[in-house]
Amino acid sequence: MTPRAEGRARFLVAPAAILLAAGLFGVASPGFLSLDNGLSMAGQIWILALLAVGQMFAIAARGFDISVGAVAALSGTLGAMAANAIGLPGLLLAVPVGLACGTVNGWLIGRARFQPIVATLGTLLAVKGLALLVSDDGQVVPLEAAARAAALSFDAVAGLPPLGWAALAAVGLAHVVLRHMLVGRRILMLGSNPEAVALVGAVPWRIEMSAYQLCGAFAGLAGALMTARAGAGLPTEGAGMELQSIAAAVIGGTVLAGGRANVWAVLAGATFVQVVLTGLNLSGVSPFIAQIAVGAVILASGLMDAGLRTLLTRFSRLSPPKGTFR
Amino acid sequence: MMAKRLPGTSRPLRLSRPPAVALVCLGLFLLCCAFVPRFATFGNIENVLRVASILCVVACGQAVVILLGGIEFSFGASAALASVVTVMALPVLGPVGGLATGGASVIAIGAVNGFLVGRLALPPVIVTLGTLMMASGAAAWLVGGLPIDAPPSAAFSWPARGRVLGVPVPILAALLACAALHLMLAHGRIGRLWYHVGANPVAARLAGLDVTRITTLGYAVAGAFCAVGAIILTSRVASGQPALAPNLPFETIAACAIGGLPLSGGRGRVSQVVFGVLTVAMLNNAVVLINLPVAWQLVLLGLAVLAAVGLQKDWAVLARLARRTDR
Repeated sequence: MTPRAEGRARFLVAPAAILLAAGLFGVASPGFLSLDNGLSMAGQIWILALLAVGQMFAIAARGFDISVGAVAALSGTLGAMAANAIGLPGLLLAVPVGLACGTVNGWLIGRARFQPIVATLGTLLAVKGLALLVSDDGQVVPLEAAARAAALSFDAVAGLPPLGWAALAAVGLAHVVLRHMLVGRRILMLGSNPEAVALVGAVPWRIEMSAYQLCGAFAGLAGALMTARAGAGLPTEGAGMELQSIAAAVIGGTVLAGGRANVWAVLAGATFVQVVLTGLNLSGVSPFIAQIAVGAVILASGLMDAGLRTLLTRFSRLSPPKGTFR
Repeated sequence: MMAKRLPGTSRPLRLSRPPAVALVCLGLFLLCCAFVPRFATFGNIENVLRVASILCVVACGQAVVILLGGIEFSFGASAALASVVTVMALPVLGPVGGLATGGASVIAIGAVNGFLVGRLALPPVIVTLGTLMMASGAAAWLVGGLPIDAPPSAAFSWPARGRVLGVPVPILAALLACAALHLMLAHGRIGRLWYHVGANPVAARLAGLDVTRITTLGYAVAGAFCAVGAIILTSRVASGQPALAPNLPFETIAACAIGGLPLSGGRGRVSQVVFGVLTVAMLNNAVVLINLPVAWQLVLLGLAVLAAVGLQKDWAVLARLARRTDR
């Protein structure tokens, strides 16, 4: 298998996995393949999809962001407060809040050369604490315009609820940023060869910071969506979402060593995680078993990444990628 | 174990230099004594040490993983699984057997993590987050999501409430754990291998070391430390809790980072872990005594991690600059 073909194969894993899982669940529980269930899932995937797309930028730049769940909770809560103060559009405050958290992460990792895990662990703890502090120790912040927010997040217009369309547009924007804009190309370049970024005259730490800023902004948007769907800002929500977002991004073919990513494949990865969760739910399996399954999906995504890497080095004459020794 | 030295290189016995974090820890202690009401009382200090002791035992395990260049997120979930397994096994196997079964499950999870990291070269974050999800799902599933009470017995509550010669058992366990880790790291063969693998796994492999086995053993030993902590915790809450200690991995990683262990692996001493743990425990205790909302514990912990790592980076930069001007 040539490297190019391997690259394409990696982005086809998630769609194939969706088909396989959907077929299995369709056999196990007849309701799964109904149109109603499909539409309901199409409305559900977007929180995870936005988090996963943000996570993809961080992973593409050879990093991780384990603070996305906490950032989504904080920005969703602040967004709910702003919405109560100035009306529903105030919910969009969540995006600059997420961007700010991403900027802190990006500065620490890019400029101050913190390891991504340490930096985002520190912000995870601090942001989690902040979310509790602004909300009076974890009280939910009910949206005054909850009915309108619910209409926007649940009533389908042409197949998707309006906020679903908005999230799809954001994912499309991420595709444009990654494929067609300089910053996206540079993020991929940084992931595959950091020295090259400096050699073409770009500033590596700024590129790295922008990857985490994008990640933070998408986490903020996910927080806004979370608030709209729940009809309240949920300061203690979001634990475990960082894991699901990493799993979705990696199932979606994002190379853990950085440098390769495809937004639509990541969307498929997020869909796959949702298919597994919904399918197990419809089959009457305990939600705790579903949690075990998500853990298995995370491990499987890691194994898939390692497996494809081994295939690449075995079937091509290229030397193994720098930094790995097998 | 006697280490053989080349002739002429023997050093007189002396205490090694205390780590930089010791100063921070001492400063924080004095600050707390001066400004935090009711901090400097015998009861409170014992309380801080009691809390710190559990954290210390588990942080010893986290330190082994960090030495290996890894990171372990599954501790909290596997401790919860251990507590559930222990209480379920209690009627069948008795207190000792129950606690042993619970502990064994933590060690098994650690070994699996180590194998996946060492053999398949998967990133430790992915592996341990995956087993975190699986272990916490399994713990909740076994008891249907609700805590189950353990029948009270003297033997079962001994790990948390017993005393040996007046010293509470958890504090004794922490001292033993530190001593064991120190023996392994400073005088044992396995400790040296961990340092080698953590500093440069490629070089270790090229030098003929069995990186898979060393890593698996390291994560299993880390699991054993966590198992001791889980046993004490289970005994303290006297029940099987599916959400026993969700912040345990964060607090232990924070303690190691504050202590000055580089998360890139290959370096670190037990004394650093101890002072890191004491710093975290004092911060948490002070937040409660000053009557701040408990959420400040998280905020301060996060800021302390960032500050500690940032300061170490500054020290490294300064040291490099100093060397450069020497030349």
